[in-house]
Amino acid sequence: MSQLIIGQMLNGVIVGSLYGIIALGVTLTFGLTGIVNFALGAFMMLGAYTTWYFYDVLGLPYALAVLGAVCAVSVVGYVSDRALFQFTRGNLVNGLLVSIGMISVFEALVLAAFTTTPKDLTYVLPGALNIAGIILPKIKIVVCVVFLAVIFGTYLALTRTWLGRAAFSYAQNPEAAALMGVHTGRLQTIVVVYSTALAGLGGGLYASMYSIEPTIGSGYILKAVEAAILAGVGSVIGALGGGIILGISENIGSVFLPSAFRDAYGLVFLIAILLVRPGGLFGDRP
Amino acid sequence: MRYAIAIGLLAALLAPLIAHSDSVLAIAIYAFMAASLAVSFNLIFGFTGQLSMFHAASFGVSAYIVTILVTTFGWNFWLAIAPALAVVLILSLIVGTICFRFKLKEFYFAVVTMAFSEVLRLIILNWNGMTNGSLGITVVDRPSLWTPIGNVAISGGVAWYYLTLALLVVVYVVCHGVLSSWIGRCLAAIRLNDQLGETLGIDVFKYKLLSFAIGSVLAGLVGAFYGFYSGFVEPHYLSIPLGLDIIAMVLLGGVGSLIGPVIGAFVLTALPHVIELSAELRIALYGSILVFVILVMPKGIVGLIGSKRNAA
Amino acid sequence: MLLDIRNLTKRFGGLTAVSNVSFGIERGEIIGIFGPNGSGKTTTLSLIAGILVPTDGSIVWKGKDISAVPPFEVAQHGLVKTFQNPQLFPELTVAQHMRIACHLHIKRALGFGRVWSLFGGMPAELNGTLTRKIDQMLELCRLADKRNEEAGALSYGGEKMLGVAMGMVCEPELLLLDEPASGLGHDEIMNLDAVLRDLRTHGVTLCIIDHKVGFLGRLADRSIALHHGAVIATGKTADVLANEAVIEAYLGKKHA
Repeated sequence: MSQLIIGQMLNGVIVGSLYGIIALGVTLTFGLTGIVNFALGAFMMLGAYTTWYFYDVLGLPYALAVLGAVCAVSVVGYVSDRALFQFTRGNLVNGLLVSIGMISVFEALVLAAFTTTPKDLTYVLPGALNIAGIILPKIKIVVCVVFLAVIFGTYLALTRTWLGRAAFSYAQNPEAAALMGVHTGRLQTIVVVYSTALAGLGGGLYASMYSIEPTIGSGYILKAVEAAILAGVGSVIGALGGGIILGISENIGSVFLPSAFRDAYGLVFLIAILLVRPGGLFGDRP
Repeated sequence: MRYAIAIGLLAALLAPLIAHSDSVLAIAIYAFMAASLAVSFNLIFGFTGQLSMFHAASFGVSAYIVTILVTTFGWNFWLAIAPALAVVLILSLIVGTICFRFKLKEFYFAVVTMAFSEVLRLIILNWNGMTNGSLGITVVDRPSLWTPIGNVAISGGVAWYYLTLALLVVVYVVCHGVLSSWIGRCLAAIRLNDQLGETLGIDVFKYKLLSFAIGSVLAGLVGAFYGFYSGFVEPHYLSIPLGLDIIAMVLLGGVGSLIGPVIGAFVLTALPHVIELSAELRIALYGSILVFVILVMPKGIVGLIGSKRNAA
Repeated sequence: MLLDIRNLTKRFGGLTAVSNVSFGIERGEIIGIFGPNGSGKTTTLSLIAGILVPTDGSIVWKGKDISAVPPFEVAQHGLVKTFQNPQLFPELTVAQHMRIACHLHIKRALGFGRVWSLFGGMPAELNGTLTRKIDQMLELCRLADKRNEEAGALSYGGEKMLGVAMGMVCEPELLLLDEPASGLGHDEIMNLDAVLRDLRTHGVTLCIIDHKVGFLGRLADRSIALHHGAVIATGKTADVLANEAVIEAYLGKKHA
């Protein structure tokens, strides 16, 4: 039993780090542009499909395929920011509708191109580690380590570089940042595109572990938003923490409760938190 | 405007005499039901200012309840509508009370109602014994209508055409009645400035809840018929994309108007048939229209007509 | 006594916005509450109107404690507040605004009969009464000629007047005015003066907050001066204005 629990906890951490990396995008985008970008789910899905295409169809090495996917997703992210998102800055409801509208557009296009049949990548890194009876596939460990590295890297970049500090100060106080000479429009675009790149990376690595379908994005973005809200939007490490808490609680929860409802736990979490902390952990209301 | 609506209604009443084609009738029937959904949604969104993501859930839950009562328990269709609407009413009162008591607004209201409707969808998806899970339930029965010459089964395009037209008229009249009364003025005050409304003596909580409940129950009414006409119910009925379709219809037609959503529903229902589109491209088209309308023409088709008239 | 406020205190976290404020309002008076910015005037008014709930103390309206009553019920009791910035509905006309504000009148006139009016429409008699009442209030507030204009087209002064007219149509016994003169030009203030005096002759008690001493000095019978959330002087307006503590609060400590 304890092996099962520990195994589920480790699985929770791995899934949680995936939630965390998309939640990080949600947090950064919200801090800088004032909207919750649900379309990040679609970017994650795009990242997964592009990786699959580069790796399985074109036969590129996996690392290169992921890199290519991240670049491709960033380009799409840049275009959609210039064409769409920049007109919804600060308007939560319009931002929500536009980004959800984009999910359905992307999902439908991918569906039309690749059908609903789930796609599985040829094994990237076969084999598993057996630690005291707990079996962990190697690929999951690698993916988790990459996610953690990227999240901590982002944290360091935000706290140590000029651009990061500018973004940070803007999220705290937009007017003061503008007075200090921060080019706010460009900063917002950079952060929006970086968030889409994170989602693309999340999708690219997701593809190495699970089979992919056009609808994975909308499921994961809900989880990511839950994770972001759970730990408090605005905190980089919080996004990771929120993701891991959510991942573990789902995995442990499904040991004791019907696993069919694992998606519902996070939703109940979300509702409870938005109610208990009126205005949510976004903190823009008293 | 009133004459335009009267002429439109007259044309709708006479149309089946000219258009016998089953496919044309089917489009009209789906458009009537979509329009009913859009009009009732607009009561909550356009006239009260609350972006409910619960509308598809109300619609789907009611469709499931009616279908299960009829197919599994052998109830009469008309009788089954009552408990379905009662359940939708109770659900909307629970969700509404939670959201409005905690004063969730705009985005927060949207996200929490979305979460509630996802939970309901998951329950339906996983309650295999009752709902047949992701496969859904096929409906073979047809409701019948009592007439002096005996019970007549409602089947065939023309009968459903008039039935769904009547449904749209009922939904429209109810919403019109609510909006042109004192309730409508309270809702307007809440949409525009709820704090000011409150100091004028308006019980904001009560009227928000009232609008949410009326809109949701009307969506439930549409759901009851929809399952029977289309011949099956599936968990997709409660999904976020369906909610988005409704929002797209309302935005396209015109948020601030009662007739706007009807126009929007007709355009979006007919469009994929006029230009040949696969199901996927249809969804993509809806999404693009949603994005386009929000960014480019926030007042919708009705707004365009209005501004043309003002300019002339 | 119409309104009796005792030991009213409101804390936001560590900040005490209103501390231990007590005063009463008699029927038919015009009461002024003034003090520099941040002295707790608006908070006090919001507490009375039910928008905020006091941390401590009581607000007794005609013998009933209303300190925890929500704002819409406070309005139903006859205590109506206007806003400093009216935040009106730009696309509705002046008359439509007034119709919305008639909510309480309809509620009082019809009670549960309102439900029947959903089917049969509003009784013609009531409609007539409402129209007359709206006209009367617009006349009183010098807005009669702007009846069909959109609120967005009104001047700032006009918007504030409409805010007052909407408050008046709720038939308040006590009207709470939040800085009605702020942002107005000289002529508009004179106009406001006259309107408020007319309101008093209509039997409404007024409680006005403002930081402009001149305007309140002409109008208020009695005044309460606030500073840092506490009452520093109370009594006849002229006496309060002459009070040393008040002068000091406004001009700051003398650098002598």
